[in-house]
Amino acid sequence: MPASTVTVRSHRPAPRRLNWRRAIAWTLLALAIAVSVLPFYWVLRTALSSNHALAANSANLLPADFSLGAFERVFGLQSPAQAVAEGGSGASINFWQYLANSLVFTGTTTICAVFFSSMAAYAFARLRWKGRNAVFSLFLGTMLVPPIFTALPNFLLVKNLGLLNTMLGLVLPYLFMTPFAIFFMRQFFLNMSREVEEAAMLDGARHWRIFFQIVLPNAAAPIATLALLTFMGQWNEYFWPLLVGSDESTRVLTVGLGVFKSQSPQGAPDWSGLMAATLVSALPVLILFAAFGKRIVNSIGFNGTK
Amino acid sequence: MKKTLGAIAVAAAATLALSACGSGQGSGDSAKGEVSYWMWDANQLPAYQQCADDFHKANPDITVKITQTGWDDYWGKLTNGMASGTAPDTFADHLSKYPEFVTNGQLLALDDAVKADNVDLGQYNSGLADLWVGPDGKRYGLPKDWDTIGLFYNKDMLAKAGISEDQMKNLTWNPQDGGSYEKVIAHLTIDKNGKRGDEPGFDKNNVAVYGLGLESSGSGMGQTQWSFLTGTTGWTHTDKNPWGTKYNYDDPTFQQTIAWWASLADKGYMPKLETTVGASMADNFGAGKAAINSSGSWMIGQYTGYKGVNVGIAPTPVGTDGKRSSMFNGLADSVWAGTKKKDAAVKWVEYTGSKACQDVVASKAVVFPAISSSTDKAAEAFKAKGVDVSAFTQQVKDKTTFLFPITDNASKIDGIMKPAMDAVVSGKAPASSLTDANKQVNALFQQ
Repeated sequence: MPASTVTVRSHRPAPRRLNWRRAIAWTLLALAIAVSVLPFYWVLRTALSSNHALAANSANLLPADFSLGAFERVFGLQSPAQAVAEGGSGASINFWQYLANSLVFTGTTTICAVFFSSMAAYAFARLRWKGRNAVFSLFLGTMLVPPIFTALPNFLLVKNLGLLNTMLGLVLPYLFMTPFAIFFMRQFFLNMSREVEEAAMLDGARHWRIFFQIVLPNAAAPIATLALLTFMGQWNEYFWPLLVGSDESTRVLTVGLGVFKSQSPQGAPDWSGLMAATLVSALPVLILFAAFGKRIVNSIGFNGTK
Repeated sequence: MKKTLGAIAVAAAATLALSACGSGQGSGDSAKGEVSYWMWDANQLPAYQQCADDFHKANPDITVKITQTGWDDYWGKLTNGMASGTAPDTFADHLSKYPEFVTNGQLLALDDAVKADNVDLGQYNSGLADLWVGPDGKRYGLPKDWDTIGLFYNKDMLAKAGISEDQMKNLTWNPQDGGSYEKVIAHLTIDKNGKRGDEPGFDKNNVAVYGLGLESSGSGMGQTQWSFLTGTTGWTHTDKNPWGTKYNYDDPTFQQTIAWWASLADKGYMPKLETTVGASMADNFGAGKAAINSSGSWMIGQYTGYKGVNVGIAPTPVGTDGKRSSMFNGLADSVWAGTKKKDAAVKWVEYTGSKACQDVVASKAVVFPAISSSTDKAAEAFKAKGVDVSAFTQQVKDKTTFLFPITDNASKIDGIMKPAMDAVVSGKAPASSLTDANKQVNALFQQ
């Protein structure tokens, strides 16, 4: 679509041909929105249904036998007997505890990973040292290793450290760096102007000071982007927390959702409860995205000088 | 930044300190303190919580902490826990899993305790107690409940098809033409144009309602899928049970039965196997997409819970030997060999295997307790809920059950038999191909 169609500056109505194009564009846009929003709607609709009526009303767009029972189950407001009667699992769900665990787990790993990765990226981008590029290639190479490969060795290490079912054991593998984060920050640091840095050096500032007082404040936008991306990834992390934090005290939301899954062989999951819990646990990420989504888009075009 | 880092360090140190003293009473008396207990079926959680409270009242110095995990994650967590020394003291155990635990020395033998406390092994439904005696002749569990197989059917569909419930409860089957069992399944199948499966012009590629639901190929057990049919032909899974060392999947009678069953999908009376992946057979029944489902008694709550579906339960069909047949499976609670609370753990397992606890379980009408007298109480409790469970109890009363086949190498056998059975049921391979699979299975016992 040519740019002229986006902003029509004249006061006269635009020619018809344009309207045609615009109509098609709008239709396509509406279609794209529908395709991406419909699943969310379906989750909401299922969450507001009662479990036993779902199977018989699978084609109905409106909630089947409207009930708030699913949300009551999520927040642990139902007695086990009542939950079972409604087709729930009856397992105890310590929702607020899981939420707190998720926040601590995600918050800690995000802050640490972003901070340490920025430091490493600075070293890769700004410092000259022997073997720098070789080490960096090695780092990038680790991006090719599927996480499932490292799960077992990590598990054994954490177990031998006696950190199973502790928050520390949960966050350890994510605490220091991820190759992606280093790569991401390095790209940004490479484009930063050298003048400011050189000026600071002339004034006798060391790398430490340059990093904290000049580089970091200037990198606020990409750091925010990286933090947001890391936060989302960590928030949805499942396998590792399942292995290490199976105890109530360290169970995060994603693992907590498991109580809505099938409880017995061949049993069907508590669909409405599962959907309600998924909705509730996705909220923080949705809110974050609504607040900072613009930042992500903007920072990609960021050029490094203010 | 520095402040947050400091805070994190403090928090980390605190977690470390906490976890160090969190494991608590590591030393001291193995008959006192907290016993952990894991189970997978949340439907039974209220009953067992009640048992745990009663147990604590009787033994004030022992507390039972119950953790429930869904079936899908349960076994992975348990084996992980055993490998890392963090497994629960006691846990609900399954016949398909326990042989490997025994082989790996992960279970505590209960013989001495059973002897010392005079546990009456005759109070359980016959055969259930024998299932939990290992190949070494030692006892690794006390039976707590049992299950058999039945046919859940949609009453309204039956009425529409003109089939009486009496007919439904007296079906016959043979592997040649399927008997009245196949006739009923065919008649209950309806295609998109409303034609029934036994009418001319039936379109088997566009079926709206299947006569018989399909969950999976059943792998090597076929517990709810086909074992109630093969059981009437005189065929047995293994040369002896428990602890057989030779499987019989090369038997022509068995292969004929499987071929008949797979032919239902080909005729359009049963869904194609590939449509069952990720789907729930029970939910499809609830959605009115199948008229009959063969399933286990542990699914009673699930099937009777569907709104807008009138469910009846019929016993499995009478087969070639003139009798019905059903696999008879039981659960037990086991004690982990690595427990630090040995005496207390054994005491708790004895309690869940006792009349006091099983009567509580019976009153909740979820499963059938292993103790015969408690079984009757459970049937009453189901009746009070408006569910007639005679289809399941009848097989036990008539002694037409056979025990769940217990052998070593269960998970490896599953790894061989699942793809082999899938290929047969989806029509990609003839039933005779199971002879090869059987060779592979039996080779496992030659090592």
